[in-house]
Amino acid sequence: MRRPEILGSIVLAAFLIMAVAPGTFAPQDPYTRFTPYTPPGSDHLLGTNDMGHDILSELIYGSRVSLFVGFASALLATMVGGIVGIVAGYCRGGIEDLLMGFTDIILMLPWIPVIIILAVFLGPGIWIFILIFGAFAWTSIARIIRSKVLQIRESGFVQSARCLGFPTWYIMAEEIGPNLFHIAFPQCMLLVASAMITEASVSFIGLGDPSMKSWGVMLSFAFTKGALINGMWWWYLPPGIAISICVMAFALIGYSREKWVNFEVRE
Amino acid sequence: MHITFYRWSRYFFSLFFTICISFLLPRLMPGDPIANMIGQSAHVSDATIIELRQELGLDLPLPEQFLQYLVNIAHFDLGYSYTLHAPVSSIIMERMALTIPFVGIAIVIGIILGVPLGALAGMSRSKKTSILATYGSIALSSAPPYFLSLIALSILSFNFGLFPLKGVSATAGIIPWIHHLILPIAVLSSCIAARNCLIMRGSVIQETHEHYPLYAKAKGLTERMVLFQHIVKNASLPLITQVALDVGFILSGALFIEIVFSLPGMGMLTYDAVLSRDYPILEGSLLVIAIMVILTNIAADIIYGVIDPRIRWQG
Repeated sequence: MRRPEILGSIVLAAFLIMAVAPGTFAPQDPYTRFTPYTPPGSDHLLGTNDMGHDILSELIYGSRVSLFVGFASALLATMVGGIVGIVAGYCRGGIEDLLMGFTDIILMLPWIPVIIILAVFLGPGIWIFILIFGAFAWTSIARIIRSKVLQIRESGFVQSARCLGFPTWYIMAEEIGPNLFHIAFPQCMLLVASAMITEASVSFIGLGDPSMKSWGVMLSFAFTKGALINGMWWWYLPPGIAISICVMAFALIGYSREKWVNFEVRE
Repeated sequence: MHITFYRWSRYFFSLFFTICISFLLPRLMPGDPIANMIGQSAHVSDATIIELRQELGLDLPLPEQFLQYLVNIAHFDLGYSYTLHAPVSSIIMERMALTIPFVGIAIVIGIILGVPLGALAGMSRSKKTSILATYGSIALSSAPPYFLSLIALSILSFNFGLFPLKGVSATAGIIPWIHHLILPIAVLSSCIAARNCLIMRGSVIQETHEHYPLYAKAKGLTERMVLFQHIVKNASLPLITQVALDVGFILSGALFIEIVFSLPGMGMLTYDAVLSRDYPILEGSLLVIAIMVILTNIAADIIYGVIDPRIRWQG
């Protein structure tokens, strides 16, 4: 493992532990009300917000929502992209033209406005976000997977599996699929990063799930309730910094597996 | 011939797909279609509703409605906003007057900053400055653009009072306009520069494995001459495609930056439309943004052909 990857993994592990067991780390219940607008101090390490909720506890509980949305939407997108890529690359011909043409069309759609408009119609909710993200963000993975499958399908073990008469779906799932993991993994990590940023952005304009306070929803509340104008930095800085650090951990893991980034300093 | 045809059909279907989304959404969603068409918080009388039902053709079968919708779009008629009491197309035109220069300037600055930085970082990877540029770019692109704007606004405008806190009026003249837009443009262009830097760096690294840089070096050119006279031109090809595809993201990022800085552009328009559930505005914005992305991709194809003669001859 390279240094950036180790760093990213450690940071990510810390966030994951927080997300799995927020109760053991959070000093307070996130919905208990204390004196509102308390600056950071010994009682509340990061102060309280307008409702008197402890911000550190909110932050720790929020990691669960943010990470879940990020992982779920990226996994969905990776699955869709993987299937499209494998089928297009293995079957070739008309199916390939059709699938890759469709990929190019989706690639050009500005999906943040699409997510906004769908969230307005369907009402805010994390499941809708996950579904829409999965439905639009799979394009880059599909292209990368396809070009790799084009190489793999000509190699000996695939040819012999075909000669032995294994069904097509079996060859795609059992012979080709496992060889794509090292390509799909970094892409999936980068997708988690972009899903988390997108979720935070969509939440910021008031389309986040208000019943599940993610970091984006926290930022949105802080902005609309005047944390900036009143100079309450402890209210809007922590969720933003948490998003940035977490996204960066995913980006470091993703990029360090990509050949072109080439983190190794020595040739 | 085949490639040209493929490209244009791609643009056509992409546009068609977006039109379908904005046509079908209000009509297939649960609830009263009239409320879906005009927005939930718009107050209109019963007489207007009957008139609207006729005018929008909601009694007709869907295919006929779709034809009518296409004809309307061809006439730049994107509907009427019952919340803002004006035709959608004229509202969007007015707001675009701010967003297009804002985004355009930011993209140009982002390319001017990001491309040389990424090229140098890719050429000499072991230098301290190159490592700094790489990690700096990753860090910058990890923060949501609107959060960077919040920080910039709170430090530079709020604590030091260097820049104005809010909005800009269209009639104020050029100097106040620049003063209001310096900070948003700085934030957006640094986000774009960070992404371009990473892409350019990767692209240059790939090109250095080719034979021609080695040959140029063997001829006796310095590393910098090899980079800027030979590699950059080839390495910037993938960047052109990527920037064009990114325009959708850049525009969306710009929307959020505009909201933080209260600039009266497309971002504030979208934000207000989301808050007041003004559906015609949202659908119009989606269409206009999609058209802009498609136009940028067409422009990128043309530029690509100008830079790379192989493409031109093939097409």
